[in-house]
Amino acid sequence: MIQILVDTLLRCSDLALIALGLSMVYGLVKFPNIAHVQYAMVGAYLTYALHALGLPLALALLAACALTGAMALAFHLLVFRRLLRAGPAITMIGSLALSMLLIALCQGFAGSFPRMFTLPLATPIRLGDASVTLTQIAAVSTTALLLAGFALLLFCTRAGRAMRALACNPALADASGLNASRITCQVAFCSGALAGLGGGLLALSTGAHINLGTDLLLPVFAAAILGGLGNPLGAVAGAFLIALTETLVTNLNFGWLYAKPVAFLPVAYISAASFLILLLALLFKPYGLFDREVRRV
Amino acid sequence: MFDFLVSSLTFGAIFALMALGLNLQAGLAGLLNFGHIAFAGIGAYGTGIAVQAGWHPALGAAAGVAVAMTLGWCIARLGKQLAADYWGIATLAIAEIIRTVATNELWLTNGAQGISGIPALFDDLPGKSGALAFLALVVALAAAAAVLLRRVAYGRFGRALRVMREEPKLAACMGYDLMSLKSRAVMAGAGVTAVAGSLYAHYMSFVGPDYLLASETFLLWTMLMIGGIGNFSGVVLGVVLVQTAYTLVPFAKDAFGFGSDIAGALRLGLIGCILLGCLLWRSEGLLPEKMRKMP
Repeated sequence: MIQILVDTLLRCSDLALIALGLSMVYGLVKFPNIAHVQYAMVGAYLTYALHALGLPLALALLAACALTGAMALAFHLLVFRRLLRAGPAITMIGSLALSMLLIALCQGFAGSFPRMFTLPLATPIRLGDASVTLTQIAAVSTTALLLAGFALLLFCTRAGRAMRALACNPALADASGLNASRITCQVAFCSGALAGLGGGLLALSTGAHINLGTDLLLPVFAAAILGGLGNPLGAVAGAFLIALTETLVTNLNFGWLYAKPVAFLPVAYISAASFLILLLALLFKPYGLFDREVRRV
Repeated sequence: MFDFLVSSLTFGAIFALMALGLNLQAGLAGLLNFGHIAFAGIGAYGTGIAVQAGWHPALGAAAGVAVAMTLGWCIARLGKQLAADYWGIATLAIAEIIRTVATNELWLTNGAQGISGIPALFDDLPGKSGALAFLALVVALAAAAAVLLRRVAYGRFGRALRVMREEPKLAACMGYDLMSLKSRAVMAGAGVTAVAGSLYAHYMSFVGPDYLLASETFLLWTMLMIGGIGNFSGVVLGVVLVQTAYTLVPFAKDAFGFGSDIAGALRLGLIGCILLGCLLWRSEGLLPEKMRKMP
């Protein structure tokens, strides 16, 4: 039982940071950025490269996070801001092109073979009947700290209030003298940095590989849509729900359904589970679970 | 060299069929279908499974088209209240679910191994004439589809689709049933694409879950965006350009001595670059859709 909880938390921390950034940017620019999950892949490769160059792991993570943020900011300024004039659909296709380009760059420089981190081996810690490694604990607590910090920033500071105002009603925010383009740039940087960090933390266990971003695409989008795109903390809740479902689907024994002692779903269907949630969410709750706005259709 | 040219042209014509199917949905009706390749995959698997079961391949192709059109109907009905970008993500998810099923249901699809040994269509013709006959068949089909869809596009149905794309509320006011328009557009696109998928299976004599990769859909989108979305000659131009770029990569690989990783990256990066450049500087494509002006 504890193992299920631990697995859920681990998966949730993988998804949460990336989904949070995606949702945050969507709130301001109003298009789903498909290239966002590829920022995580770039972050993973950068962390690997800096670590291989001899930086300590924490420093490598931090530097990769800043570099990915700078890259996201550059893409926002050079590509997305221009494309947004032509509408969200064109911008979405543009983000698709960008994600192809990023995969191609990473494959060209690093090859298609996964790059595993060489971390010192440590004995896993026993928690009841579950076991976790120190690296995993560090990753989950980093994510938790960042999420708490972000919630504070969003709800207790001036910058957070400006961000929420801009996401909620851009015209009114503009009229009250908020600098929309500066805030959007800051948020683009933050979201890229969070995605890079999330990718780096994820790569500690799976290694950096070129499918890292593509594999994350649908779970992350499912999490962000489930939480309501544009609602950053909703995305975290969505990530938790997705992680819980994925863990339950693969760990529960469905034997009683077929009158057999043991019947597990194949592990390969783990991703199908999150797509299915995504579809159900789109069908019944397209504006997220926490939508309180009244809409006249 | 001759064989290489023939095979490039055959691939080009098959992709042109798929791109024409996508253009009906994305270009005319403005539907962001990011799971379009699922239709081609279903067509290919229809042929493959029929051959495996000992049926006539034509029966399999017909079954594939029927299943693809049913799926198209379901997908179109899915988006009753969804905004366009949400619908795009939903179609992407559906295509990925189908790929996961195709990879895992060993009894039906033979899993990741795929189904091989699908007979080529003109196998009994001597020498190179078999490949040439197949090329002639696909080119004829693509040309027929282009002419037919063009006629549809400039007829009443195409006009209705364009009104729905530009002004959905106006179309509803004029008495068009938007849901039915949408599902007919998606189903027609699905049918054309399933035929293309079935031909692809015959040509490769193999079907596998790799046919359903999302990157294939993005390739079709690239063809559409480069050529000019909504314009049928533009789509054909886009297919030719992208297929040429793809064909040139092996030569670049040999000329500069790249490894296979770099060659794959070059292929993907080239498409990404062209698409992005096109969007930034010419978002309506090389041959833009001509709007008819009312005098």
